[in-house]
Amino acid sequence: MRRGWRWLVVAAATAVLVALPFAAHLLPVAHSSVSAAQLLTRIQGSAHVQYSGYAESSGGLALPVTTRFNSINDLFGDRTQLRVWWRAADDWRVDSINLAGERDLRRDRLGVWTWDYESNTAERFVEAVVPIVRLPRPDDLVPATLARRLLSQVGAAQVTRLPDARIAGHDAAGLRLQITDARSTIEHVDVWALPASGLPVRVTVFGKGDSAPVLTSSLLDLSTSAPPASQTAFRPAVTAKVRSSQFGDIVAAVDQFGQSTPPPQLAGLRRAPLHLGSVGVYGQGVTALVAVPVPPRLARTLARQLAGTPGSVSVSSGGSEIGALSISVGPLNLLLSAEGIDDARWLLAGTVTAPTLLAAVAELPPAAGFR
Amino acid sequence: MIRSTGLTKRFGQVVAVDDIDLDVRAGDVYGFLGANGSGKTTSVRMILGLVLPTSGSVELLGEPMPRGGRRVLPKVGTLVEGAAAYGHLSARANLELLDASGGSAGRRTRRHRIDDVLEQVGLAGTGRRPVKAFSLGMRQRLGLAAALLPQPELLVLDEPTNGLDPQGIREVRELLLRLNAAGATIFLSSHLLAEIEQMCTRVGVLDRGRLVVQDDLANLQAPTGRTIVRTSDPAAAVAALDGRVEGRDGDRLLVRADDPAALNALLVGQHVPVSELVAERRTLEDVIMERTEPGADRVMPP
Amino acid sequence: MIAVELRKLARRPRTWATLFLLDLLPTVVAVLLAVTHLGPRPGQGPAFLSAVLANGSLFSVAALAIVLPLFLPVAVTVIAGDSIAGEAQAGTLRYLLTRPVGRTRLLVAKLIAVLVFVLVAVVVVAGTGYLVGKLLLGGQPLTASTSVAGVTGVTSVSGSTLTAGQIALRTVLAIGYVALSMIGVAAMALLLSTFSDSPLSASLGALAFLIGSSLLLPLDAARGIAPYLPTRYWLSFIDLFRDPILWRNVERGVLLQLVYVVVLLGAAWANFSSKDITS
Repeated sequence: MRRGWRWLVVAAATAVLVALPFAAHLLPVAHSSVSAAQLLTRIQGSAHVQYSGYAESSGGLALPVTTRFNSINDLFGDRTQLRVWWRAADDWRVDSINLAGERDLRRDRLGVWTWDYESNTAERFVEAVVPIVRLPRPDDLVPATLARRLLSQVGAAQVTRLPDARIAGHDAAGLRLQITDARSTIEHVDVWALPASGLPVRVTVFGKGDSAPVLTSSLLDLSTSAPPASQTAFRPAVTAKVRSSQFGDIVAAVDQFGQSTPPPQLAGLRRAPLHLGSVGVYGQGVTALVAVPVPPRLARTLARQLAGTPGSVSVSSGGSEIGALSISVGPLNLLLSAEGIDDARWLLAGTVTAPTLLAAVAELPPAAGFR
Repeated sequence: MIRSTGLTKRFGQVVAVDDIDLDVRAGDVYGFLGANGSGKTTSVRMILGLVLPTSGSVELLGEPMPRGGRRVLPKVGTLVEGAAAYGHLSARANLELLDASGGSAGRRTRRHRIDDVLEQVGLAGTGRRPVKAFSLGMRQRLGLAAALLPQPELLVLDEPTNGLDPQGIREVRELLLRLNAAGATIFLSSHLLAEIEQMCTRVGVLDRGRLVVQDDLANLQAPTGRTIVRTSDPAAAVAALDGRVEGRDGDRLLVRADDPAALNALLVGQHVPVSELVAERRTLEDVIMERTEPGADRVMPP
Repeated sequence: MIAVELRKLARRPRTWATLFLLDLLPTVVAVLLAVTHLGPRPGQGPAFLSAVLANGSLFSVAALAIVLPLFLPVAVTVIAGDSIAGEAQAGTLRYLLTRPVGRTRLLVAKLIAVLVFVLVAVVVVAGTGYLVGKLLLGGQPLTASTSVAGVTGVTSVSGSTLTAGQIALRTVLAIGYVALSMIGVAAMALLLSTFSDSPLSASLGALAFLIGSSLLLPLDAARGIAPYLPTRYWLSFIDLFRDPILWRNVERGVLLQLVYVVVLLGAAWANFSSKDITS
C-alpha cells in the first residue's frame, strides 16, 4: 500500500483524462418541437443560411475505376475533410483538406475557382460554361448541400422525425426520409438540421439491407455567424499556375461534345428537365441514374477494368451474353453497355437496382461517337 | 549516527537483510564486515534511502530514512559499490556537476573544496584528462573525493579500498583516520578482515543477512587468559610450568596464565630462557569463525 | 538541477552528433533538389517539398517535415531513454540520489532538459533549412517573377499569398508545435528509462511505441482509438500554413501531447519514487 498509492493516483488521473472527451456526449440535448414537415421545408430553403465549419464525410464505396475518375473514388470511398465558408448559394468556399495540401473550390457570382496546392495550379471556370452535368465534387459532400440535394423533391408525407442529437456543439433535430420506390437501392436517408434555420449538419445514407451507412457527412465544428467576404474571395498567388477552362471534367466534356441523344425517359424514370446534352440524368433525389456515352478509348479501358474486377458480371439476356458488363458497389450499380458506333459505349450508374439498369440500357439507342 | 531497528529486505523469496539492529555512534570508525552476498550493500543502500526496507526502519543522523534524506544526506558522504562518474568528463567537471546537483555545501566554496578533495585523494594532477582514461584505482580515488566533497559529518563507504594498490590502501587508511580524528564518523563496509581490524573501533559482522556480531573491537579482542611463550628450551619450560601448558608447537608454548608478568617472573626464576612472551588475545577472525557458518557464498540444497 | 542536466547534455559529444545528423538529412535533400530540380509527385513525399522548388524560403518548414516522421523521434528517444537508465548504467544515479537530489525533481529536470534539446534541435533544423533553402533553392525562376511583380510573399496552402511577416510567425508556431509534438515520446522514453537500467532498451521501447502508433493510424479498424494515438496530429503543423489557420487539429495535438505527458510522467513518478535503486 505504501508504494501502491502513487499508481492509484496515476490510474485515476488517466481514467479521468480518457473519459473527458466522452463527457461532452453526456450533456442533455434540448428537445425541439419542430414537426417533420416544418423541418423539411426549412431544410429545403436553407441555401441562404450563412455559416462556416469543418466537416468530415466518409463513404464506403470502392469503385472499380481509376485514372480519370480518381477524384470520385476519393470522395465516396474514403474520408474527406472539408472546411466550409458559406455566404450564399453563389458565394462560398469549400476546402478539401489532406495531409500535405488541399484542393479548394471557391464560388463567386461569375463561376468557380479551383486551387490545387500540390500542383500549384489555380483553374477558373466561368459560369456561362459551367455545365449542369459534371462529376461529383467535394462541395457536393458538404452536409447542407448534400441534404438539400437528397431532399430536393421530397414531400412531407415521406419524412418522419428522428430524436434530436448534439452535433458540432449544436442541438439538431433529426429527419428520416424512407425510400419507398422499389427501383431504389437506398433504404433511408437521415438528416439532422438546426431546428430554427433548417441548416443541415449531418447526413447519413443507408443502402437496402445495410447496417452501416454507405455515406456519412457531418459537421464537426460549426459557427453560425456569417463568414466575412474576404474568406470566400480568391485571388491566385503570383507564383501559381493559372488556367482558364472551358469545361470541367470528362463527363462535362462528353455532355457537350457527344453526339448521342438520350431518350426523355428510361426504365420509368424521367429525364431531368432543361438539359439537352448527350449525358442523360434520370430520376430525382436518391432514386436516380445517369447514362453517359463513353468515347471509344475510354470505353475500352473501362471494359478492361470492369472485366478484371472481382464481382463483375457479364450480362446475358435470353440465355446469350450481350457484351455488357455490370457490377454492384454497395447500393451503387454500374453497367457498361455493349459496343455501339465506333466502339463507344453507354455507362449507366445509379442508386437503382440492377434490373432497373438492365431495363434502362435496353431502352437506349447505340452510343454514338464524338464531334 | 546510524540506528536501525528490525531492518529487513526481501527480494521476492530471498531474504537479503534479516532483522538487523545497527548502532553506529558519533566518532566511531565502524567496520561493517561480511562476505560477498551477505547483504552489506543492501543494508548500506537502505541506510541511504536508495532501497526501501521491507520492514523495520533506519535513522540517519537522527532522521528517519528515506523521508528525512533531504535534511541529513547533505551531511553524509557516500561511496556505494564502487565509484562511478561520467567517463567523457574530467575529474573536476564530474565533481562540479555532482556538487551542483543538490545538497551542496555552497556554490562559492565549490572551487576551493574541489581543489581540496582532489589534493586529499591524490588526483590534483589529472587536469582535463577524461575519467574514461583513469585506472580502477584512480576512479576509486575520485569516488572518495566525491564522498568528501560536501565536508560530511558521516562517511558511508562501501569497499573504499577496492582496486587500490597497497600504497594507495595505506594512504586511504591514513586519510580516513585523519578525518575521524577531525570529528567525522566513518561507516566502512568491507569483506577484508584485516582492513577492518586495522582501522575500526567498532565492528558489526553480517552473515547471510543477519547481524551476528556488533561490539567495540577492544571488547572483541579481549585477552583469552592464555600467554604465548617462546623459548629455546621448551622441555625445561614445560617442566617448570607443571601442567599449565595447553599446547606446544616447536619452541612455541601456549600457557594458561592470566598475568604475563607473573609468568615471566616464574620462568626466569626457573632459569628458563624466554625469547618472547605475550598475552594471547582473540583475533577478529576467531570471533567471526565462532559466530558464523562456513562459506556464506556457498549455496546449500534446502 | 535543470541547469545541471542541461550542462550534462551540452557536454556530451553524442548530443552534438545527433544534432549534426538531424541537420544532415534536410541538407542532403536540399542539395539533391537543387541539382535535379525533381520535386516529389503531388501526394507523395514529405509536405512542402514540391513547393520549395518554387520558393526556397519554405524549406525551413519542409526540413521540419523531413525530420519529423523518423529522425526527430529517434533522436528524442535516444536522448530521453538515456536520461535515467544512462545514469543507472553508469552508476552515477545512486550518487545523485544520495547527494541528495529528489527523485521527482530529477525526473522533471530530465524531461525539461530533453525538451530543451528538442527545441534546440527543431530550431536548428528550421534555421539550417532556411539558410540552405535560400542558398540552394532561393534563386528559382518563379521567385524571380515574384519580385518582378513587386510582391514578396509565399503561397499558402490555401492558395493565398502570405507576407514575409506572416510566414515568419507561422514558422515560429510550427517550430513550437513540432517541438511540442515530441513531448509525448520524450515522456514515454523517460518512463521506460525508469523501468530499465539499459538506455538502449528504453529508447527502443519508446520507438516501438511510436512505430506501433504509426502503424495503427492508417488502419480503419483502429479509427476509434486514432484520436488517442501519439502520432495522430504530428503532421498538423501543416494546418498552420493554411489560410486561415486551421486550429482544430493543432489544438487537439497540443492537448493530446499534454495528456501523454501527464499520464506518462505520472507513471514514471509512481514507479521511480518508490523504486529500489540497485544499480
